[in-house]
Amino acid sequence: MIYLNTVIIDGLSFAIPLFIMAIGGIYCERSGVTNLAIEGLQGMGAFVGALAATLVSGMFAADSQAPMFIAMVFAFLGGGLYAVLHAVLCVKFKANQVISGVVINILATALTTFLTSEISTALFGAASNRFRLTTSIRMTVPGLSEIPVLGAVFTNIYPFELIIILVALVAWYVLYKTPFGMHLRACGDNPHAVDAAGVEVSRVRFVAVMISGALSGLGGICFAYSISVQFSSAIYMGYGYLAIAGLIFGNWQIMPTLAACLIFGFARSGGFALTQMMELPSAFTDLFMTLPYIVTLFLLIFFSKSNRAPRALGEIYDKGKR
Amino acid sequence: MRRANPITRGVLFLMGDERRQRITIPVFAILLSLIASSVVLLILGKNPMEAFVSLLRGSGILPKEAYAAKKSMLTDFLSLLNAWTPMLFASLSVAVAMRAGLFNIGVSGQMLCAGFIATVTVGYAENLPAVVAKPLVVIIGLVAGALVASIIGFLKQKWNINEVVSAIMLNYIIRYVVSFFVKATINNPSTRQSWPVTASSRLSLMDTELGGLKMDIPLGIILAVAAVILVQFLFTKMKLGFELRAIGGNPVAARYAGVNVGRNTVLVMAISGALAGLAGVTYYLGYFGSIQPDVLISTGFDAIAVCILGNSNPIGIIFSSLLISVIDKGSTYLQSSIGVRQEIGALITGLILLFSACGAFISYLVNRGRQHEEDARKLLSGAGGKEAKA
Amino acid sequence: MADEYIVEMRHITKRFPGIVANDDISLGIKKGEIFALLGENGAGKSTLMSMLFGMYEPDEGEIYIRGKREHITSPNYATKLNIGMVHQHFKLVSNYTIAENIILGIEPKRRAGIFPVVDIKSTNEKVAALSKQYGLEVDPKAKIEDINVSTQQRVEILKMLYREAEILIFDEPTAVLTPQEIDFLLQIIRGLREGGKTIILITHKLEEIKQVADRCAILNRGKLIDILDVASTSTQTMANLMVGREVDFVVDKAPAKFGKEVLRVEHLTVKNRDNFPVVKDVSFSVRAGEIFAIAGVSGNGQVEIADAVAGMVRAAEGTITLNGTDITHMDIRSRTDLGISYIPEDRQNMGLVLDFTLEDNLALKTYYREPFCHKGILNHEAFSQYGQRLIGEYDIRSGQGKDTVVRSMSGGNQQKAIVAREIELASPLMIFVQPTRGLDIGAIENIHRQILIERDKGRAILLISLELDEIMGLADTIGVIFSGELLKTAPADTLTTNEVGQFMMGVKQNEES
Repeated sequence: MIYLNTVIIDGLSFAIPLFIMAIGGIYCERSGVTNLAIEGLQGMGAFVGALAATLVSGMFAADSQAPMFIAMVFAFLGGGLYAVLHAVLCVKFKANQVISGVVINILATALTTFLTSEISTALFGAASNRFRLTTSIRMTVPGLSEIPVLGAVFTNIYPFELIIILVALVAWYVLYKTPFGMHLRACGDNPHAVDAAGVEVSRVRFVAVMISGALSGLGGICFAYSISVQFSSAIYMGYGYLAIAGLIFGNWQIMPTLAACLIFGFARSGGFALTQMMELPSAFTDLFMTLPYIVTLFLLIFFSKSNRAPRALGEIYDKGKR
Repeated sequence: MRRANPITRGVLFLMGDERRQRITIPVFAILLSLIASSVVLLILGKNPMEAFVSLLRGSGILPKEAYAAKKSMLTDFLSLLNAWTPMLFASLSVAVAMRAGLFNIGVSGQMLCAGFIATVTVGYAENLPAVVAKPLVVIIGLVAGALVASIIGFLKQKWNINEVVSAIMLNYIIRYVVSFFVKATINNPSTRQSWPVTASSRLSLMDTELGGLKMDIPLGIILAVAAVILVQFLFTKMKLGFELRAIGGNPVAARYAGVNVGRNTVLVMAISGALAGLAGVTYYLGYFGSIQPDVLISTGFDAIAVCILGNSNPIGIIFSSLLISVIDKGSTYLQSSIGVRQEIGALITGLILLFSACGAFISYLVNRGRQHEEDARKLLSGAGGKEAKA
Repeated sequence: MADEYIVEMRHITKRFPGIVANDDISLGIKKGEIFALLGENGAGKSTLMSMLFGMYEPDEGEIYIRGKREHITSPNYATKLNIGMVHQHFKLVSNYTIAENIILGIEPKRRAGIFPVVDIKSTNEKVAALSKQYGLEVDPKAKIEDINVSTQQRVEILKMLYREAEILIFDEPTAVLTPQEIDFLLQIIRGLREGGKTIILITHKLEEIKQVADRCAILNRGKLIDILDVASTSTQTMANLMVGREVDFVVDKAPAKFGKEVLRVEHLTVKNRDNFPVVKDVSFSVRAGEIFAIAGVSGNGQVEIADAVAGMVRAAEGTITLNGTDITHMDIRSRTDLGISYIPEDRQNMGLVLDFTLEDNLALKTYYREPFCHKGILNHEAFSQYGQRLIGEYDIRSGQGKDTVVRSMSGGNQQKAIVAREIELASPLMIFVQPTRGLDIGAIENIHRQILIERDKGRAILLISLELDEIMGLADTIGVIFSGELLKTAPADTLTTNEVGQFMMGVKQNEES
């Protein structure tokens, strides 16, 4: 029972940041821009957020939660701003989108590692390759948490989980219900139609890529708080790529992607719990970690026909060409 | 319509036609990134020229002011070659796939898989003599890499699964599985890495005394240079290369021309994977000597950008991969000599790769500029002709 | 003067890198008329109208709408000026419904609680009403990917009408339609004129102009040749002006001498990716010295027949026999070796590797044979000699001869390269799919001549074309395909254009069976 609770609690706290990163990916890819840059975007977002938290931490009490919320805001902004680079390369410079993604990731790792040590030296006088963060509080909803099994969903929640769910709702609304979302999805299917309708394709895509960066950054800082309570280059654990697996699994749609991320999250926490329960060496968790990737691969094999990427994905849109 | 100003015209002239741009564009990208890095260095209060010179010194291209005992420029240069070998193989691996229109983003995974299998099969076999162990390592690496990558090719040709996606999935599957085995079986608790492989199986002769110097002699570099020549021959002279290029240019047209696209897709991924496997063994059983769990090295990703910088051309790749290795290797010395953090090396590399990704755009601008120039010249001379007649 | 015209373009010049697309063109269009723009491919018609629609801006010259000078900087602004355009390639989002496509860019909003959302429901009603009003029946909730080409065109027209366009530009609207659908469309266009709309019709088809247009501007190589009153001008005159020389409409054709049977297709069924049969139980045969033409509306399975014979798609059922050999399950390479030449419909996406040089493309079907290749090693000298010879014999023009990258060549010369390569294979069976699509009249005549020469050499020729004129002019035997079935096969001289058109619509089906 305790294990089941842990599985649900940890599964959710992993799945939800992953979900918001995947939504970011959906925004980008549904607009027609391939996004392999999520890994770099989340890392850069987390870096900016962690830096902001470090800078303001002196102004608050040691156990104050305020720096965390400030960090989330800055991670959102930082990820979005860094994504401008991907947007410029892919939308304006018409570079190959896969290559751009790879380069964004390489540069993010290099830049954040370099800046972390430079800045921590400047701030604390001693070189360090990490920013320490404050421990996040956990919340339990009274009453609801008493429900058998499902009560775990309302137990030990990170505040960021609620924020992300709110953001995800807004993201869903914007993508499927507003004119902007309609333009965005149309860009990923037939950008020429969007252009002919008098909507600037490059602007829509630019904004989509930036939103993607912002959401990835938000996901990144949440991982920094939940998994390691610090920012270091260990943030590049490959969760960005896992988010890509999630959105492909979810067929580039938000609700199925949520399901995919939950499966990934529970597979992971379930794996951890199983190793503990069976008293296996901790190395066995590594084997469970392969599950999401193996599942996605098999899914791709069995559903390769019904799994449909946006039609114009990766296609460079050139206004002059018709 | 007016002609461009003389500076623009000069740049356009220097960049040359499309043939020449294959060289001038990457050079231009490198120049841009050096300028950008200089700005960073200036902000840090360092002299950029000095920094670049130390990079070259650290990597054994230029002599240092002083050397420790049994060290010289040659030792530095050889250790550069040692680090360069896997990078060269990895970039070739990416290039082979790229020429056939495929992205092998799984090079890091293929390297790890090949390195791991070679390590557990040969790396700890104490009694195996070097003449047996070393070729065996090479062959195992080659085969293991080829097998992993051909899975990607197979998934693509059989179910049309995007090779980028399947390669990323495989990367992580390999990473976790190898981490598990390394931690569970061959973990050295004090270093948190696998035990180092035997000297007889190692592809680099480490700390070898030669002519009063102690140096690391990378045997793999000979193979790597041979691989460059073979790949170049494949694409310029061989029927198979023609077919692969056709697939890269237009897979539908290649099929229409009678090329067996499915088989060739698997084949080219196998070749690419074999090269990645060689990169793996020259890294894990050469340069590095052991395996670090939980890490997928960046070489395979860097190689994609290195390949772009080298125009997916084996000869170009020699230069681009060497450049990246020089920066990587030289950055340690940069830290000790002028006190810039060695992470700046990765940053400069990142900037070069960033600008090289813009290559297509630069080329577009240049060609548009050149066309514009030509039109303007025609128009002006046409108008001039009319006026003269009038 | 200016008041008379609703649209007036004065001294318009537009340059693209390397070419002058429009050279000092001036014309005026009156309110309520059908004004045609006639010219060959590349004459600059679409460019001129794209400027009126705000997709490009002219380098020089002025545009006046309703007597007022306007800078039309975007399609949005053109829409504000009540200008609408139906593009040659439809601009529709395939996974959206008809209604969603129509409102794209000008979405009506309603409130759901405090949030504004796109109002689909009222749009559906409005679109249904609009389609009834103009006789353009569509189901607003149907998705674009599920409807046929002529319905998609109706969606494009409705898009303009929904935006209250007064000036309607049609860019080659009949290229994808059957004769009957064309009649229907022209009727709608007339109806729109009755409703007070001004229509600009871009086309290279003279009959259409003759049928509906009031006036006609003729463009040639970016220059305006003349503006004519259609009623008082003969088709021949317009054709001569369009091409810039005398045009001979009649193809000289010797009587056919049929030899033995070369290709036999029996009970062929081909399925598409969704396992849906697109070719159903088709049987026919082609003899040496015969041009067997398949007529049909685009997308009725004719290309799949060609692909199945050439080996590009698998035959689900049936057999294909070439000179007595069963090739149904043979791979493409073996079929080529056995004797099939194939000029595919899509020259850029199938027929050529655009980033290869001309000489490599010319050897694309033979590179693996002696003398081009010996034991897996290529002989570049052989490539270059062969390329040189074909360039000369087939008059393929390009910037740097055999070393030209094919992407930079004109469409006509790209097609010449494919024709040269395939004819040089000297195969007993030659498949030509849309061999003249997008070419100008000179190039068309040339290719028609080559097809006839090959026929007279005793090749069996399978010709697939959407141009009924081409089929009527060349074919010895005609098979008409509709919805994957070969409805009618008969000697060409026993069929009239009108009858073939009826079969293309599937009309005579019952009568025959």
